[in-house]
Amino acid sequence: MIKITALEKFYRTEEVETIALNKLSIEVKEGEFVAIMGPSGCGKSTLLNILGLLDDPDGGSYLFNGTEVAHFNERKRADLRKHNIGFVFQSFNLIDELTVFENVELPLIYTGVPSSERVSRVEKVLDKMQIMHRRNHYPQQLSGGQQQRVAVARAVVNNPKLILADEPTGNLDSSNGNEVMELLTDLNEQGTTIIMVTHSEHDARYSHRIIRLLDGQTVVENIMI
Amino acid sequence: MLRNYIKIALRNLSRHKAYSVINVLGLAIGIASCLLLYIVVRYENSYDTFQPNYSRIMHVVTADKFPDGMVYNSGVPFPMADALRADYPSIKTGAIFASPGSQVTVLNSNKNDNKFIERNGLFYCEPQFFEVFQYNFLAGNAKVLAEPNTVLLSKDMAVKYFGDWKTAIGRLLRIDNALTLKVSAIIDNVPGHSDFPLKIVGSFAAMKTAAATYGYEPTWFGMTSNYQVFMLLPPGITQAAIETQLKQSNVKFYGAHAYTKRTHLLQPLSDIHFDTDFSNFGDHITSKSKLLTLTLIGVLIIVMACINFVNLSTAKAVTRSREVGVRKVLGSSRKQLFWQMMGETALMVFIATALALLIAALALPYIKNIMTIQETLSILRTDILLFVLAGIIVVTFLSGIYPSLILSGFTPALALKNKITSATVGGISLRRGLVITQFAISQVLIIGTIVAVSQMDFISKADLGFNKDAVLVLNANTDSAAISRQAAFKQRLLQLPGVQSVTFSSDVPQSDNDWQTNFSYDHRPDEKYSIDLKFADPDYFKTFGLRFLAGRPFALADTINEVVVNQTLLAKLHVAKPADAIGKQIRIGTAPWKNIVGVVQDFKTNSLRESVKPVFISTRKKYYSVTSVKLHSANVLQAPQAIQAEWNKFFPEYANTASFLDKSIENYYQQEGQLSLVYKIFAALAIFISCLGLYGLVSFMAVQKTKEVGIRKVLGAGVGHIIYLFSKEFTLLILAAFIVAAPVAYFLMHNWLENFVFRIDIGAGVFAAAILTSVIIAWLTVGFKAVKAAYVNPVKSLKSE
Repeated sequence: MIKITALEKFYRTEEVETIALNKLSIEVKEGEFVAIMGPSGCGKSTLLNILGLLDDPDGGSYLFNGTEVAHFNERKRADLRKHNIGFVFQSFNLIDELTVFENVELPLIYTGVPSSERVSRVEKVLDKMQIMHRRNHYPQQLSGGQQQRVAVARAVVNNPKLILADEPTGNLDSSNGNEVMELLTDLNEQGTTIIMVTHSEHDARYSHRIIRLLDGQTVVENIMI
Repeated sequence: MLRNYIKIALRNLSRHKAYSVINVLGLAIGIASCLLLYIVVRYENSYDTFQPNYSRIMHVVTADKFPDGMVYNSGVPFPMADALRADYPSIKTGAIFASPGSQVTVLNSNKNDNKFIERNGLFYCEPQFFEVFQYNFLAGNAKVLAEPNTVLLSKDMAVKYFGDWKTAIGRLLRIDNALTLKVSAIIDNVPGHSDFPLKIVGSFAAMKTAAATYGYEPTWFGMTSNYQVFMLLPPGITQAAIETQLKQSNVKFYGAHAYTKRTHLLQPLSDIHFDTDFSNFGDHITSKSKLLTLTLIGVLIIVMACINFVNLSTAKAVTRSREVGVRKVLGSSRKQLFWQMMGETALMVFIATALALLIAALALPYIKNIMTIQETLSILRTDILLFVLAGIIVVTFLSGIYPSLILSGFTPALALKNKITSATVGGISLRRGLVITQFAISQVLIIGTIVAVSQMDFISKADLGFNKDAVLVLNANTDSAAISRQAAFKQRLLQLPGVQSVTFSSDVPQSDNDWQTNFSYDHRPDEKYSIDLKFADPDYFKTFGLRFLAGRPFALADTINEVVVNQTLLAKLHVAKPADAIGKQIRIGTAPWKNIVGVVQDFKTNSLRESVKPVFISTRKKYYSVTSVKLHSANVLQAPQAIQAEWNKFFPEYANTASFLDKSIENYYQQEGQLSLVYKIFAALAIFISCLGLYGLVSFMAVQKTKEVGIRKVLGAGVGHIIYLFSKEFTLLILAAFIVAAPVAYFLMHNWLENFVFRIDIGAGVFAAAILTSVIIAWLTVGFKAVKAAYVNPVKSLKSE
């Protein structure tokens, strides 16, 4: 599903050039659950941003379902993103001005789903995430675990083929964290490909494969059994 | 999608209340100011446009070339209308004669108060005038004016005189105690935006029968601006063509004695309200430059309001970066985000506009008052609503495009990590540039206000060279019966307590009357310029406190006997010492030579816009239409009633028109006074808007600098340091704005002052005051927030990061 080859990304300031990704090559198959680990500054987030088409690589190739997307323009990237990729962030990134229901509804609006269908789909996914009773609350009124469940609901409401999760349990206590990991595992079992960046060995154990990065390069890949 | 945008826009508005209030209020005040100025400018531009032949009506005027420049007159000699009709039989031509200040007596009235002084609106017209100008007749028609003793009234006048216009036909009015006219037609009220405020229109033929009262002399050698002729050019005949032919007719008009320096020109009706070279029958002329100034102020204020919006929105963009990031991650395209932000701007502009309409509606009565607009103005007019609609679109785009481009352009990866700071948003230099622009505009307005106010103050306190205080002026006509009663009237007035002196004259020292003639001095040939005439009894000098430089007042006489002149005349004649003129002879027109017995120090003869004119003062009883009474200052409140009572006894056929001289002098500067008031109001608004913007910016700065302030305080910075940190940048911006504003303001106000012969200099003080004002206002605005930021516990501010 995803094949990146010799991917490069540099950050330049006036005097220093930092290499974030150094000719990195990775392949992720459909239905896989992959964890990416590594110390701070090793390029995990940069990689996730590029995979999610939130950032441009400076070199190399990125094939998404066989299509070269590394140099897509903004419009094409937005288009690909909204139909194929769901995001879960460490800091949830819910929109404070919108209710739970409206936050989850947002991706459906952007993909042009008609209103009546949106209601049933949002309700279904809220139900699944057991957050239906909070549908009219605003994010600030929820606990961290609840907020992340909303964020996951929002990530999956469009039935994306790929979910990119950036330390999804980083801001949660262990029981809430486990709940979120269970959710992701369920989704994966239903066929969604998941790529998750994490610092937590515990969380990484939910995945099929761990890719460890150091200084923008793969150092080791562990296959989980 | 749209619903989602509106929802989030509304929630954003209510979540960030302070920001919303600042933005909406700033915009609302800007839009309201702009709207009010538009209403005023549109109103002024609408004068007489309701005339169906507006673009083809031409006013025949006179231009005389003198060595020191052109002298223009709105009038023409009395034979002009007939001459034009003979020369251009196919062109409709009509004459109108204005008689301002005439007295109308309602005959057979059962009311006691049946005498009215009509300051304006009384005219004598040829029936042909109504072929050029169109009015709506409620009863009768213009043909009645062909008869000699008829008058037509506007509906309001008919109601004023007779209670009901329907019963007015056939009733009698006596005008100026000289003519008795029968009401023969009624016209609908002339709209307020007309320079032809026809209220009482007598037949021109009737006026001719009272030639002495109205100074009607059908020769080519007299002229008054009260007599004006209008032509309706048929399609295809141009103004230039007629002007060329008029030039050729000069010899025919003026004969061998031709005024070779005279030309008659055509002034289009569309210029009459704006051309300050000529007078009109309305209550004011609005120069195009004044309208331009008002338009400019309106544009500047709206620009300031938009700048505010742009500044605040881009500053606030930082706090919305996460939302933008999330939306992009969820699949929003840049275009969708751009339009979302534009939609939010539009919503704010819309709310601001609604508020602006309310403000404008409430302010409209005051504006009407300031601008002396007589007509009812309403906001609910198609053109005004269209203007508002256009305004919403323009303001939305001006204010929205830049912030929307900035916001929608955020890179999602950065936006999500809150790595977008004010320093990276839209370049600080642009925002600085906008603040500089804003301050520059308010400084121009501040400087303009200071100059305009000082000039008006200078005028009101200027030494006019005569005493204008506590002088009560009464006007009457100069019919011989009234004149014969003057001596006894004066004796009686002098017996009243509080009356210091009384004088009869043709005119007060300073007025907009322009009675001039040719003259010669000391048996030399006629001078190449004319002299102003004033006739008065010897008490004139005492009553108005005129100061003698040489000689004495003239002796009492009924006709021209001895003469007093002013300093300016001697300067123009190159007479070195005032005493040298005493005993010399002077002659006006072709009258006999008379001795100069006194020279008075210059006094202002006309408005301070004009220079002092050479003046000839002598006795001539038949022209004494003005009674001036100098009162003891302690009696200015009671004495007028007693004087009025005496007036009614001595001149029962004349209405009382008493008014104080200083008040009438104030009226000469009404236009300037209005403009200076407008400057004041809108400068204050502009300053307020820029303060709002500044306050908003500093608020955001305070939020963003929270961490910096915390670190500085931990490192030992005091409150003073923190305030300095905040004020430094804005003070520098104000200084930069001043560098832009000062020359612009100097140029504009220097031009404005050119309208006045007697004017102030724009000194360094004005500029110092302007910059000081803006710095102080900015400090006060910034200071509050800065002090608040400075006192926050550093532990708290560091933790919040």
